[in-house]
Amino acid sequence: MNRTIGDARIRVPSRIQQGEIIPVSAIVQHPMDTGFFRSADGQPIPAYFIKDVTVTYAGRQVAHFMWTSGISRDPIVTFTLVADREGPLSMRWVDNKGAAFEQTAQIAFSTT
Amino acid sequence: MPRVPEGPPRRQFLKQGLAIGLVVAAGQSLRPAQLLSASAGPDPEVPNEQVAKILKDLFGGRPIRRGQVLLDMPVVAEDGRVVPVIIEAPDLPMTADNYVKAVHLIVDHNPDPYLAAFDVTPAMGKLSLQFRIKMKRTTWVRAIAETSTGEVWADYARVNVSLNGCG
Repeated sequence: MNRTIGDARIRVPSRIQQGEIIPVSAIVQHPMDTGFFRSADGQPIPAYFIKDVTVTYAGRQVAHFMWTSGISRDPIVTFTLVADREGPLSMRWVDNKGAAFEQTAQIAFSTT
Repeated sequence: MPRVPEGPPRRQFLKQGLAIGLVVAAGQSLRPAQLLSASAGPDPEVPNEQVAKILKDLFGGRPIRRGQVLLDMPVVAEDGRVVPVIIEAPDLPMTADNYVKAVHLIVDHNPDPYLAAFDVTPAMGKLSLQFRIKMKRTTWVRAIAETSTGEVWADYARVNVSLNGCG
Protein backbone atom coordinates (compact mmCIF):
# COMPACT_ATOMS: atom_id res chain seq x y z
CA MET A 1 0.00 0.00 0.00
CA ASN A 2 1.25 3.42 -0.88
CA ARG A 3 1.15 5.35 2.37
CA THR A 4 1.78 9.03 2.62
CA ILE A 5 1.66 10.59 6.06
CA GLY A 6 -0.95 13.30 6.09
CA ASP A 7 -3.15 11.96 3.28
CA ALA A 8 -6.66 12.69 4.46
CA ARG A 9 -10.22 12.08 3.36
CA ILE A 10 -13.52 13.51 4.59
CA ARG A 11 -16.78 11.73 3.85
CA VAL A 12 -20.16 13.47 3.96
CA PRO A 13 -23.52 12.18 2.67
CA SER A 14 -24.03 12.62 -1.08
CA ARG A 15 -27.51 14.06 -0.60
CA ILE A 16 -27.99 16.67 2.09
CA GLN A 17 -31.17 18.57 2.94
CA GLN A 18 -30.75 22.00 4.46
CA GLY A 19 -30.93 21.86 8.26
CA GLU A 20 -30.43 18.14 8.70
CA ILE A 21 -27.85 16.69 11.06
CA ILE A 22 -25.31 14.85 8.91
CA PRO A 23 -22.58 12.39 9.87
CA VAL A 24 -19.04 13.40 8.92
CA SER A 25 -16.23 10.82 8.82
CA ALA A 26 -12.60 11.71 8.41
CA ILE A 27 -9.40 9.71 8.22
CA VAL A 28 -5.80 10.88 8.09
CA GLN A 29 -2.79 8.66 7.46
CA HIS A 30 -0.45 8.89 10.42
CA PRO A 31 1.67 6.33 12.34
CA MET A 32 0.60 7.66 15.78
CA ASP A 33 3.78 6.28 17.37
CA THR A 34 3.60 6.19 21.17
CA GLY A 35 7.33 6.35 21.81
CA PHE A 36 7.18 3.05 23.74
CA PHE A 37 8.16 0.75 20.87
CA ARG A 38 11.53 -0.12 19.35
CA SER A 39 12.30 -0.85 15.73
CA ALA A 40 13.57 -4.27 14.58
CA ASP A 41 17.19 -3.19 15.15
CA GLY A 42 16.49 -2.06 18.72
CA GLN A 43 16.32 1.67 18.13
CA PRO A 44 13.57 3.43 20.08
CA ILE A 45 10.84 4.85 17.83
CA PRO A 46 10.15 8.38 19.05
CA ALA A 47 6.62 9.55 19.78
CA TYR A 48 5.04 10.90 16.59
CA PHE A 49 1.33 11.58 16.62
CA ILE A 50 -1.50 13.97 15.69
CA LYS A 51 -2.16 16.17 18.70
CA ASP A 52 -4.62 18.72 17.44
CA VAL A 53 -7.59 18.64 15.04
CA THR A 54 -9.74 21.62 14.10
CA VAL A 55 -13.01 21.47 12.17
CA THR A 56 -14.19 24.60 10.36
CA TYR A 57 -17.54 24.87 8.59
CA ALA A 58 -18.37 27.82 6.34
CA GLY A 59 -15.74 29.94 8.07
CA ARG A 60 -16.65 29.08 11.67
CA GLN A 61 -14.74 26.69 13.92
CA VAL A 62 -17.23 24.05 15.06
CA ALA A 63 -15.00 21.57 16.85
CA HIS A 64 -11.50 21.13 18.21
CA PHE A 65 -10.04 17.79 19.24
CA MET A 66 -6.96 17.30 21.44
CA TRP A 67 -5.41 13.91 20.92
CA THR A 68 -2.48 11.90 22.26
CA SER A 69 -0.61 8.89 20.89
CA GLY A 70 -3.37 6.79 22.50
CA ILE A 71 -5.48 7.36 19.38
CA SER A 72 -5.06 4.44 16.96
CA ARG A 73 -2.86 4.56 13.86
CA ASP A 74 -4.42 6.31 10.84
CA PRO A 75 -6.95 8.15 13.02
CA ILE A 76 -10.58 7.98 12.07
CA VAL A 77 -13.12 10.26 13.66
CA THR A 78 -16.86 10.48 13.04
CA PHE A 79 -18.97 13.36 14.32
CA THR A 80 -22.16 15.21 13.38
CA LEU A 81 -22.87 18.61 11.92
CA VAL A 82 -26.01 20.70 11.41
CA ALA A 83 -25.93 21.35 7.66
CA ASP A 84 -27.55 24.79 7.79
CA ARG A 85 -25.42 26.51 5.14
CA GLU A 86 -23.67 25.60 1.94
CA GLY A 87 -19.93 25.97 2.14
CA PRO A 88 -16.64 24.26 2.75
CA LEU A 89 -16.10 21.88 5.65
CA SER A 90 -12.38 21.95 6.39
CA MET A 91 -10.31 19.89 8.76
CA ARG A 92 -6.76 20.54 9.85
CA TRP A 93 -4.65 17.96 11.65
CA VAL A 94 -1.41 19.09 13.39
CA ASP A 95 1.16 16.58 14.65
CA ASN A 96 3.67 16.86 17.49
CA LYS A 97 6.44 17.77 15.02
CA GLY A 98 4.43 20.77 13.89
CA ALA A 99 3.38 19.44 10.48
CA ALA A 100 -0.17 20.38 9.45
CA PHE A 101 -2.40 18.45 7.06
CA GLU A 102 -5.64 19.76 5.59
CA GLN A 103 -8.63 18.46 3.72
CA THR A 104 -11.91 20.05 2.63
CA ALA A 105 -15.32 18.70 1.64
CA GLN A 106 -18.10 20.81 0.16
CA ILE A 107 -21.46 20.93 1.90
CA ALA A 108 -24.06 21.46 -0.85
CA PHE A 109 -27.81 20.90 -0.66
CA SER A 110 -29.82 18.58 -2.88
CA THR A 111 -32.19 20.49 -5.15
CA THR A 112 -34.97 17.92 -4.95
CA MET B 1 5.14 -14.95 17.64
CA PRO B 2 5.17 -18.50 19.09
CA ARG B 3 2.72 -20.88 17.53
CA VAL B 4 -0.18 -21.81 19.73
CA PRO B 5 -0.51 -25.61 19.92
CA GLU B 6 -3.71 -26.89 18.34
CA GLY B 7 -5.96 -29.15 20.39
CA PRO B 8 -8.79 -29.28 22.87
CA PRO B 9 -7.63 -26.32 25.08
CA ARG B 10 -7.86 -24.01 22.08
CA ARG B 11 -11.26 -25.35 21.07
CA GLN B 12 -12.46 -24.93 24.61
CA PHE B 13 -11.14 -21.39 24.63
CA LEU B 14 -13.00 -20.62 21.41
CA LYS B 15 -16.20 -22.01 22.87
CA GLN B 16 -15.79 -19.81 25.91
CA GLY B 17 -15.18 -16.89 23.61
CA LEU B 18 -18.43 -17.61 21.80
CA ALA B 19 -20.27 -17.79 25.09
CA ILE B 20 -18.80 -14.47 26.16
CA GLY B 21 -19.77 -13.04 22.77
CA LEU B 22 -23.38 -14.07 23.27
CA VAL B 23 -23.44 -12.50 26.71
CA VAL B 24 -21.95 -9.33 25.23
CA ALA B 25 -24.59 -9.24 22.49
CA ALA B 26 -27.34 -9.70 25.05
CA GLY B 27 -25.84 -7.00 27.25
CA GLN B 28 -25.74 -4.48 24.44
CA SER B 29 -29.36 -5.01 23.50
CA LEU B 30 -30.25 -4.18 27.12
CA ARG B 31 -28.53 -0.81 27.05
CA PRO B 32 -31.48 1.46 26.21
CA ALA B 33 -33.46 -0.01 29.09
CA GLN B 34 -30.52 0.50 31.44
CA LEU B 35 -30.40 4.14 30.49
CA LEU B 36 -33.76 4.68 32.08
CA SER B 37 -32.50 3.63 35.48
CA ALA B 38 -30.54 6.06 37.62
CA SER B 39 -27.24 4.23 37.31
CA ALA B 40 -26.20 1.78 34.63
CA GLY B 41 -23.97 -1.13 35.46
CA PRO B 42 -21.43 -1.46 38.25
CA ASP B 43 -19.58 1.56 39.56
CA PRO B 44 -16.06 1.93 38.22
CA GLU B 45 -13.16 1.40 40.56
CA VAL B 46 -12.00 4.33 42.65
CA PRO B 47 -9.66 6.41 40.45
CA ASN B 48 -5.97 5.79 41.03
CA GLU B 49 -3.80 8.74 42.08
CA GLN B 50 -2.99 9.78 38.50
CA VAL B 51 -6.60 9.61 37.34
CA ALA B 52 -7.81 11.39 40.48
CA LYS B 53 -5.46 14.27 39.70
CA ILE B 54 -6.68 14.47 36.10
CA LEU B 55 -10.29 14.59 37.29
CA LYS B 56 -9.47 17.24 39.89
CA ASP B 57 -7.61 19.39 37.34
CA LEU B 58 -10.50 19.14 34.88
CA PHE B 59 -13.53 19.50 37.10
CA GLY B 60 -12.28 20.78 40.45
CA GLY B 61 -14.78 19.82 43.10
CA ARG B 62 -17.77 19.60 40.76
CA PRO B 63 -19.71 16.35 41.16
CA ILE B 64 -19.33 13.89 38.29
CA ARG B 65 -22.74 12.29 37.90
CA ARG B 66 -23.36 9.09 36.02
CA GLY B 67 -25.99 9.45 33.32
CA GLN B 68 -26.90 11.34 30.13
CA VAL B 69 -23.67 10.20 28.47
CA LEU B 70 -23.45 6.83 26.73
CA LEU B 71 -20.04 5.23 26.32
CA ASP B 72 -20.16 2.24 24.00
CA MET B 73 -17.08 0.01 23.91
CA PRO B 74 -16.51 -3.70 23.46
CA VAL B 75 -16.47 -5.78 26.66
CA VAL B 76 -13.55 -7.72 25.18
CA ALA B 77 -10.98 -5.99 22.98
CA GLU B 78 -8.85 -8.62 21.30
CA ASP B 79 -6.38 -6.14 19.84
CA GLY B 80 -5.48 -3.29 22.18
CA ARG B 81 -4.08 -1.32 19.27
CA VAL B 82 -7.52 -0.69 17.81
CA VAL B 83 -10.43 -0.43 20.23
CA PRO B 84 -13.58 1.30 18.95
CA VAL B 85 -15.20 4.01 21.05
CA ILE B 86 -18.64 5.57 20.61
CA ILE B 87 -19.72 8.46 22.84
CA GLU B 88 -23.24 9.83 22.61
CA ALA B 89 -25.56 11.97 24.68
CA PRO B 90 -28.93 11.86 22.91
CA ASP B 91 -30.81 13.64 25.70
CA LEU B 92 -28.41 16.48 26.45
CA PRO B 93 -29.44 19.73 24.69
CA MET B 94 -27.25 21.25 21.97
CA THR B 95 -28.78 24.73 21.82
CA ALA B 96 -27.05 28.12 21.83
CA ASP B 97 -27.57 28.64 25.58
CA ASN B 98 -27.26 25.07 26.83
CA TYR B 99 -24.94 22.62 25.17
CA VAL B 100 -22.19 20.08 25.68
CA LYS B 101 -18.95 21.99 25.38
CA ALA B 102 -16.38 19.26 25.89
CA VAL B 103 -15.97 15.51 26.21
CA HIS B 104 -12.97 13.92 27.89
CA LEU B 105 -11.82 10.32 27.52
CA ILE B 106 -9.75 8.80 30.31
CA VAL B 107 -8.32 5.26 30.21
CA ASP B 108 -7.32 4.46 33.79
CA HIS B 109 -4.40 2.08 33.24
CA ASN B 110 -2.93 3.48 30.03
CA PRO B 111 0.57 5.02 30.19
CA ASP B 112 -1.05 8.39 29.41
CA PRO B 113 -4.56 8.04 30.88
CA TYR B 114 -5.98 11.37 29.63
CA LEU B 115 -6.27 10.08 26.09
CA ALA B 116 -8.33 12.69 24.28
CA ALA B 117 -10.53 15.75 24.67
CA PHE B 118 -13.14 16.94 22.21
CA ASP B 119 -14.31 20.55 22.30
CA VAL B 120 -17.72 20.58 20.64
CA THR B 121 -20.33 23.24 19.80
CA PRO B 122 -24.09 23.49 19.12
CA ALA B 123 -23.19 23.57 15.39
CA MET B 124 -22.78 19.81 15.68
CA GLY B 125 -26.49 19.37 16.46
CA LYS B 126 -25.99 16.50 18.88
CA LEU B 127 -23.18 14.77 20.68
CA SER B 128 -22.06 11.73 18.72
CA LEU B 129 -18.38 10.85 18.42
CA GLN B 130 -16.73 7.72 17.10
CA PHE B 131 -13.03 6.96 17.01
CA ARG B 132 -10.51 4.23 17.84
CA ILE B 133 -8.01 4.07 20.68
CA LYS B 134 -5.10 2.03 22.00
CA MET B 135 -5.33 0.23 25.33
CA LYS B 136 -2.52 -1.30 27.36
CA ARG B 137 -4.51 -3.65 29.56
CA THR B 138 -7.89 -4.42 31.09
CA THR B 139 -9.20 -1.29 32.73
CA TRP B 140 -12.05 1.13 33.21
CA VAL B 141 -12.61 3.78 30.58
CA ARG B 142 -14.30 7.06 31.52
CA ALA B 143 -16.17 9.32 29.09
CA ILE B 144 -17.00 12.60 30.81
CA ALA B 145 -19.01 15.42 29.26
CA GLU B 146 -19.06 19.00 30.48
CA THR B 147 -22.03 21.23 29.65
CA SER B 148 -22.06 24.99 29.13
CA THR B 149 -24.08 25.28 32.34
CA GLY B 150 -21.35 23.58 34.34
CA GLU B 151 -22.85 20.12 34.72
CA VAL B 152 -20.56 17.11 34.48
CA TRP B 153 -21.98 13.81 33.21
CA ALA B 154 -20.15 10.52 32.78
CA ASP B 155 -20.42 6.97 31.62
CA TYR B 156 -17.95 4.18 32.30
CA ALA B 157 -16.99 0.97 30.56
CA ARG B 158 -14.75 -1.84 31.69
CA VAL B 159 -12.85 -3.23 28.71
CA ASN B 160 -10.97 -6.53 28.84
CA VAL B 161 -7.87 -6.20 26.71
CA SER B 162 -6.29 -9.38 25.28
CA LEU B 163 -3.35 -7.87 23.39
CA ASN B 164 -1.44 -4.88 24.78
CA GLY B 165 -1.71 -2.06 22.27
CA CYS B 166 0.62 0.43 23.92
CA GLY B 167 4.00 -1.34 23.98
